[in-house]
Formats: sequence, structure tokens, C-alpha cells
Amino acid sequence: MAAGEGRGAGGLECREHLFKVLVIGELGVGKTSIIKRYVHQLFSQHYRATIGVDFALKVINWDSKTLVRLQLWDIAGQERFGNMTRVYYKEAVGALVVFDVTRGSTFEAVSKWKHDLDSKVLLPNGSPIPAVLLANKCDQKKDGSQNSSQMDQFCREGGFIGWFETSAKDNINIDEAARFLVENILANYKSFPNEENDVSKLKLDPDLLKADSKSQCC
Amino acid sequence: RNYYGGNWASFSFSGLCSWIRENKQKRDVREESDDWRKLILETEEAISLNMKDNTIQHIEYICYANQDLAEDVNEAGALRKLSAFGVSDNGEATQGSEKECQPVESQSLGPESCEVSPESITCNDPESATERSDAEMTSESENLCDATSDESALEKGKMENASTAETAALEPKKITYTQIVIEGRRFNIDLVSKLLYSRGLLIDLLTKSNVSRYAEFKNVTRILAFQEGRVEQVPCSRADVFNSRQLTMVEKRMLMKFLTFCLDYEQHPNEYEDYKEYKFSEYLKTQKLTSNLQHFILHSIAMVSEADSGTIDGLKATKKFLQCLGRYGNTPFLFPLYGQGEIPQCFCRMCAVFGGIYCLRHSVKCLVVDKESGRCKAMIDHFGQRISAKYFVVEDSYFSEKTCTNMCYRQISRAVLITDQSILKTDSDQQISILTVPPEELGLPAIRIIELCSSTMTCMRNTYLVHFTCSSTKTAKEDLEPIVQKLFSLNSETERESENEGGPEKPRVLWALYFNMRDSSGIDKNSYDSLPSNVYVCSGPDCELGSDYAVKQAETIFQEMFPNEEFCPPPPNPEDIIYDGDGTQTEDPGFSNSSNVITKPSPEENSGGDGDSNQFSEEQHEE
Repeated sequence: MAAGEGRGAGGLECREHLFKVLVIGELGVGKTSIIKRYVHQLFSQHYRATIGVDFALKVINWDSKTLVRLQLWDIAGQERFGNMTRVYYKEAVGALVVFDVTRGSTFEAVSKWKHDLDSKVLLPNGSPIPAVLLANKCDQKKDGSQNSSQMDQFCREGGFIGWFETSAKDNINIDEAARFLVENILANYKSFPNEENDVSKLKLDPDLLKADSKSQCC
Repeated sequence: RNYYGGNWASFSFSGLCSWIRENKQKRDVREESDDWRKLILETEEAISLNMKDNTIQHIEYICYANQDLAEDVNEAGALRKLSAFGVSDNGEATQGSEKECQPVESQSLGPESCEVSPESITCNDPESATERSDAEMTSESENLCDATSDESALEKGKMENASTAETAALEPKKITYTQIVIEGRRFNIDLVSKLLYSRGLLIDLLTKSNVSRYAEFKNVTRILAFQEGRVEQVPCSRADVFNSRQLTMVEKRMLMKFLTFCLDYEQHPNEYEDYKEYKFSEYLKTQKLTSNLQHFILHSIAMVSEADSGTIDGLKATKKFLQCLGRYGNTPFLFPLYGQGEIPQCFCRMCAVFGGIYCLRHSVKCLVVDKESGRCKAMIDHFGQRISAKYFVVEDSYFSEKTCTNMCYRQISRAVLITDQSILKTDSDQQISILTVPPEELGLPAIRIIELCSSTMTCMRNTYLVHFTCSSTKTAKEDLEPIVQKLFSLNSETERESENEGGPEKPRVLWALYFNMRDSSGIDKNSYDSLPSNVYVCSGPDCELGSDYAVKQAETIFQEMFPNEEFCPPPPNPEDIIYDGDGTQTEDPGFSNSSNVITKPSPEENSGGDGDSNQFSEEQHEE
């Protein structure tokens, strides 16, 4: 899902990127809240399972020459029992793995999510996609949770590119974490520019089909 | 089971190896515990279900590729080691050898992992931590880009590009078994080999339901025929026929005339009335067609049986083929990127987006039937969890022999090969081809071959994935190996040097798998012994090229359950979904008529209704 195209307007080249980013983690850790906060600047106390939505779109004016469109894919509905479909993981270029600092079990599940992620999607060059670990609900943090150096070590061992303490409620570190991830995605993107631009791929577009006329053979 | 789609699934190379291992081990592993019986009340009785899937038989796999040195090779980027997987190169899979049955590591896909609770996969587990860093080291030493390091990634990227360019100029690379293992995730190997007719029911369903948004396709690029030991391309579109170099001018005219007639044959009954009782092959002989053309039409276009298909069957099949031409490209068929196994997953995703629940890694013990009403009210899983539901859609393979007494199943013979070259080399190495090989003896089934190139995302670069399918007369290997030997070289690298004297060089098989799969299609529901009326049986995959059977069956089951509902309607726009104040969702008016069910469950989508799981259906087996 890493589409980039050059816009050669007036000699000034503007690049547009479309990146698919996954937001994964256990039930109720705040995945949807993080997306809502990041994309719509909203936060709601009321928990609500995610229904009917594949992804939210965030447009970032990265710099004067780069426009980034981030597709943030939420885990749909209750598709949470262990494995996700590859359809969800396919062609993602980055991931936010979320746990809830107030519930230790959600942290323990982080490795499981990372494993599922790495087993279902790879960058075109074969390496794992960059993943950032989010320690969410840090506004409710109690003492006795992991300290910073333990977390650094955990990230190194677990193959995360970094971690952030976040709060969707108080809007802490969410932009920073996303920015850190996008930096990484862009760096990866530069190292394998547009590897596949396969024109023979087909999408079945319902609107196109309606207009589709009768068979045209022989 | 820890994958989606049952026998419709596709696997990476290591995933397929695990699947092979599970299926070889499974014979009569009876669960000792009978605790679940305690959960059945006095007013209830149980229909016990198969704990193990018995639909796959006669698995054999053979490695022909050079198995250079390395024993502990990892799939690139893999977190767990590929458990040692025994392969023999003497043409016989060594059943039950020690090599093959090495213990599976804790995080691998073995059946035991079903019971691994989240606690036991904690991140503090020193073993898994070591495993992880092992894997990282391997991927670095394989010279893959390091995602965290911008500069080095850039450099390595360049190096990679340069080296690909170099090797492309040289002769095709010799792929070793180690490379197949390392690049294992580039493979998506389907258990079922099918294509989509561009005007078939599945395409219509995918587009109508918008499930197509999750899939991408490629056109099959070539229709091939096998005549007198030679593979050749069949011209089938108007452009193909005119551009064909293998047909004479006269043949071109004959073929065009006949195909044009087939497109609206019903309008010209006088052309075939007299031959209605004839076989299609005999009818073709009465038309002005050379034997070459008759072969093309019978085997590669109509793809019907020479021995038993009548004139009308053949005309109908030819018409269907022709009508599908030109919708998306030069052949009537589409293939989904990442394999046929994507299709059930696409339905699963759509279902999950609208609240469907999936319980993977739960095996089912039994259905619970209320004695008084005779209706099924719940099922019990191996954790002893009881899940209530109104409707149960259960795949045939779940029923025990007790329920399926006197059932006579057909079988499908399957082979999957990883090869080093296409069966018909042309300028482009990215071809997707279908070839139907007529039987040696009249009356035996034809063999369908689908060859996939790496741009279908089903195999690694410089390899091809070749699927063989036919209805079984013997074991898969007995049915299919003779034709494999005709089309491919099975010799190892060294033997090959001496062998190649004259004659065109055949592509080489690097790795081969044979297995038989149960074909439970076409079984009457009444053949199952005493099932409650709210239990619906769906079959496993059938042997046909298209998926019409599965689509029709899904729709039929759905209509029986919900006669007043539309089957797989288009989903509402996310903006049109109205959330009410209490945090429960109501839906777009008209989308559903009940107040708390977000999406209508269907066998297609294996939907579990809303969060209360008042409706529940078995694991996804349908498409």
C-alpha cells in the first residue's frame, strides 16, 4: 500500500505517499481511541466496539515536498481471537502495537501480536514492517509498571523500533509516536522505491461493472 | 485449527509443512478427556463431532531441489525456527521417520499450540527471546535490509538491485531447498486450485457485496493444450485466432465460424438438433473442424469429458467460456493475488468489520440437542465452553462416522509442484496458464493444471507453482505422477547433465506434494443421520474449476435460515451507520430489520451475529 507518485509541477517535485498502518493490541487497550484522537482530535469515555469501518485516513503535510496519507486500520469488530486474516495485514508498511499500562495482561499479549504481525506481513525486501509500541492510558499509570530501561530492552528484543507512553484521553505523545513511525516508513520507502508497479493487477469495481456491457468476444 | 478457511486455505511454505505434519500425525489421536459430557443436561443429548479432520489422505512430498548443507535454516524474518522437516529425495516420503516427527517448538503451529494460553507466551520467556534474536541475526546475515537503519538499508537496497540486474542477465538461477525455506513466506500455496470465471457467480457475489474491496486479481494469460507430447497455446479470442501462427488460414476461419455459432447456439437449433443425443466429441467431428481444432475446443475451451459429455453440455460450456472472454482480458479467468485462499479471508474480514466473531484455536466437541424440541441449542468446545446459538452451519468434515454412516464420498487428487521454469517458455516469464490434459484412456478423468508465476504472489521469484487437480481414481500420486513426469524433469541437478540429449529441456521440479482431499459436494442433507432441523451442513470444496457450487450452496443455506433477507447485501457506508446514545449501535435503516443485529449472518461470511453471539456458525469453510 505504499504508493508514491511524483507531481512535477513547475519543476517543484511534490511526492504523495499512501501508507497502510495497522493498529493492533488486546481488547479495550484504546486502539480506536488512539485513532479517533489522532485523526479526528476526539476522545470519548464510552467504550464502543469498532463496527463497519476498515480504516481512518490521516493526511499529513510532512514537509514542503511530501504529502503523506496514512490509512490507520483498526481491528474490526470482534476479530480478536488469536489470529487476524491476512487481508487485514496485507501490504501494511507500519504498525502501532498498543497495550494498556493499567492491565498487565495486555502487555503480555504484545509479543503474541508482534508474532502474528511478523508472520503475516513483510516489507517487499523481506524484513519485518516497522512497529512502535504504545503504552497507552499513561494518564492512569500506577507505580510499579515497567521502567524506561526495561522497556527499551523489551523493544530491542521484541523487534520494535521504539516505544511511547501515550494517552488518547489527554492527547499525550500520539502525534509524536505516529511521526516517529512515519519517519521510519519513509526511510524504508526510499530504500525500495516503487518496487512493484504492476499494471496487470485488477480491482473489481462495482461501479465499473454496472456500466459493463455485454460480452465482447468473437 | 488455527487458520481460516478449512480446506479452502492457503499456506506459506513453512505453514504447508506444518499442515502436512499435522495431517500425517492425526490418525486416531483420541482425546482422553470426556469431561464435556458432564456439561450435557438430562433434557439434552449430544451429537459428538470429529476432533480431527479426516478429509486429507495419502500425503506424500518429495524434495528434488539440492538440499545444500544447512540444517537449521530459518524462514527470513521468522520468529520461530522452522522445525526440522524431513524430506527424502528418493521419491518416497519416509513415513513416520524420526526426522519428520521432531518435536514442534512452542510457538509453532502444531496442534498442541491450540492449548497454549496467553500467559505461557509472555515476553519474559527466555526461550522465545533467544529465538527472536536468533531469527534477527539470520535475517541480517541473509543480507536483508535492516528496517531500523536508514543508511545501511539504502546501501543494501542498492546492492540488491545491482545483484538482481546481474543475475537476470545470466542463466536462470538454480534454486535450492534452503532458498525455498528462507523465502518461504513468498509462497501462498492453496489446498484447492480454482479460478474465477469472469462472469461467474463468485465474481458477481464479490462485487455485489463489496467484499471485492479486499482482493486484487490477475487475468489468466494463457489457455494451453497438450497434444502429442507438446504443450501449445490455444487461441481463443478473436485477436488470438487472427494472430495465431500455429493455425492455417483455413483453420482460423473454421474456428471463428464455430465459436461465433456457439455464442448464440440456441438461436440455431437446426445446427445441432440432430446431434442432441450424440457426445460433444462426436458432434465436433461432424462440423468442419480439423482434429487439431477439435482437440482445442473439446479439452481447452469447453473442458468437458470426451467420454460422457453430450452435445448440449459441450455447447453450453463453450458458450460460457466465450461469454467470459474479454471482460477483464484475453482469457475468461481471473486468479486472486496471494491465492485462492484469500477469497474466504476477504469474506471473513467483511464479516468481522460488521461484528462477526471468530473462535480460532477452539476445537469443537459436540452439538447439544434439546430432547423435547429436537433442536440444536448450543455447542461445546474443548475448553468446556458452551456457546449457544439459534443456527448452526457445520461443515461435513466435523461430523463423526456415526452421523455419516453409509456415506460414499468422492475424492479429489491434488498435486502441488514448485518448479524452476514455465511449461511453455515465452518472452515473458510472468504467465498464468491453465492446461487441461485429456485422460490417456477414455472414461478416466481429465487433469487440470494451473501454473502460477511469482507476480501472483504465490511463489518466490524464479519459481513457478503448479497445481494439478482431478477427481480421484487412485491415490493422488498414482493419478498424477505420470503426467508430472511427462511435463517435468524429476531428476536432481547432477543427473540432469547427462540426461539432456536432444529434445527441448523440460522444467525441473524442485519440490512436490501429493494428497487426496474428500469431495463432500453433492451429498444430500438427508444422508446425514438424524440432524436437528437448525443444523445446516455445508460441503468442503468440490472438484470443479469455478466456485459456482460453493456460492449456490451458501446462498441456499442462508435463504433457508433467513428467507426474507437479502444474501450478502452491499455494506452500508461507514458514515451512514448511526450510533445511538448508550454505546450500542443501530444500523442504517433498511439494512436489517432487527434492532440489535448489525450484520446478517450468512454461511458465506461465517457471521456470528452481534456481540451476544445469539447466532453462531462453524468455522469458515465456505467461500
